Amino acid sequence: MPAKYMIHTQTIPNRFRPLTKSGIIAWWEGCLGCRACVKKQCVYDVYRNRDLDVRQMIDSMDNQCMNCLRCVQGCPRELIHKSINPEYEALGDSHWTPDIIAQLWNQAETGKIPVSGAGYSGPFSGPGFDSMWTDMSEIVRPTRDGIHGREYISTGIDLGGTPKHLAFTDSGNLESEPPFLVDVPLPIILRVPPFGSLSDNTIKGWGIGARELGTFLALPNEIIKGELLALKKNLIPIISPCHPLLDDVLEGVRLVEVPWGEKWKEITQKIKEDHPSVLISCRTPLVRGVEERVLSIINSGVSIIYLEGTSSGRVTDDNSIFIKDGIRQIHVALVDKGIRDEITILVGGGLAMAEHAAKSIICGADGVFIDFPILIALECRMCRRCTKGLSCPVEIDQAEASWVASRLINLIGAWHNQLLEVMGAMGIRDVRRLRGETGRAIFYEDLDMNTFGSLGTLREGYELE
Amino acid sequence: MTEGKKQTVAFFYCQQTPESSEQERQYLEEKYERSIRLFPIPCGGRIEPLHFLRALEEFANAAYVIVCPEGECRYFEGNLRAKKRVQRAREIIESIGLEGDRIGILSNSKENPKSLARLVDEIMCNTSRLEPSQVLNLHHSLARPFH
Repeated sequence: MPAKYMIHTQTIPNRFRPLTKSGIIAWWEGCLGCRACVKKQCVYDVYRNRDLDVRQMIDSMDNQCMNCLRCVQGCPRELIHKSINPEYEALGDSHWTPDIIAQLWNQAETGKIPVSGAGYSGPFSGPGFDSMWTDMSEIVRPTRDGIHGREYISTGIDLGGTPKHLAFTDSGNLESEPPFLVDVPLPIILRVPPFGSLSDNTIKGWGIGARELGTFLALPNEIIKGELLALKKNLIPIISPCHPLLDDVLEGVRLVEVPWGEKWKEITQKIKEDHPSVLISCRTPLVRGVEERVLSIINSGVSIIYLEGTSSGRVTDDNSIFIKDGIRQIHVALVDKGIRDEITILVGGGLAMAEHAAKSIICGADGVFIDFPILIALECRMCRRCTKGLSCPVEIDQAEASWVASRLINLIGAWHNQLLEVMGAMGIRDVRRLRGETGRAIFYEDLDMNTFGSLGTLREGYELE
Repeated sequence: MTEGKKQTVAFFYCQQTPESSEQERQYLEEKYERSIRLFPIPCGGRIEPLHFLRALEEFANAAYVIVCPEGECRYFEGNLRAKKRVQRAREIIESIGLEGDRIGILSNSKENPKSLARLVDEIMCNTSRLEPSQVLNLHHSLARPFH
């Protein structure tokens, strides 16, 4: 058995004070001057340890407050209030919600699984991945050795296709060359996001993080230079048709990405001839009816395909279809043709939480690409100011490479642990067995159809609670 | 930070101010570049003299708060309390020789509520005649390393 894959995390403090969901509004006008003021009785000493962060005008009491509401309820003149922070509510967008962003910050800071307290107060179901539930039937007892202890759950995947069968010669030797595979210890591959206030240090930090984690970082071919050349083993150069192939960059890499387009076959052929030991991944947008394109890619001898959805987790050409449904269709189509194992399917676009990685794999992906979460790990607020040339509120470009790498390791460490939790609860001991296991999940649409299908459809805006 | 002749004004504004979403905020920052720093607050009553003083000390030539019209505060008295705090902060800076106009409050109109952009335009117009703050010059010269 190979050595157990562990990600060692440690608390890496934020560079800026994180925005909090709520803030304290404490008035002193009308104060009775009680001898036993509720502010003095705060068990967290929030009022005594106050200071103001001038860069952001954030009061420390908002970060330290634990929302026990003791002061709010205890003040005899009701001079203390709690209010929703408008800046927090303005974070991100409808997909990258403030709560998702805040949870990613927390995971990148602590490296720990987010725990939201007792019970679940959210809706019964939601769009996209929220309409999927995974099987938890194995949670019948605590495991004796613990999934984070001696019990072994493998999260490793192989990149590359495998033949349908092996053929042997009369003498018992393999008739064909054995398949060339690259193994990754976790099914999560990193990707430089399409926007962000990035510097060379940021990219270098992500590269170092990818190396420490044993995974890959996909980035444009033309920015691989200088210190990044030393990290090539863990980089996936993204070949652009506009830029020439750089042989010195491709020498020593294990995987390259070629985008689907006019010249993709030419580029692929050239890489195969010049660098036969390099695995090629073909990137194509996840669109309706992409199955045909996937088949043509398999027929051309490419063994990895990256299906890219939108940053809001939808199919590229239809905003009403979520990537989970797109992945399922392709997986089922390939299984029906009996060629599923000839290709590795990687998916990406809008994957914002650890559960999205697990659920993508259940729908049929082998692994996932994540882009914006690695930016949010660096305290990004998804304000998109950088796309307009405005200054970054958290100065990501000023961050040290070591801090970037440590934050990334923390985030992926937390995601890895959550993947172990999901698989442990499902009783699955290998992430490769999780692929396409839709029978071990419940889909709200299917449940709804089976239960109420004969009664007609629910009107929009209604949901079960 | 103040750079050359560009002077920064700090704006604290109640989240109830009309048209004060993140998009409007970014539009204003694009328009005024580094001349403004915008800080949304849940209520005008959240502001304290310390906010103004720290802003003037660190980066701002002037600091203003934008609050709801009288009688419209969702916390009933937040805007009234903000006025008192502005008054207190003004007294403090006047006592050290700074012009009181560097700190101010602007109440929105009940009858014709103005957008954040219009209110900021008005304040920027008023503060443009202010001379560069001596406190900032002093602060920056003190912050400079000795040779």
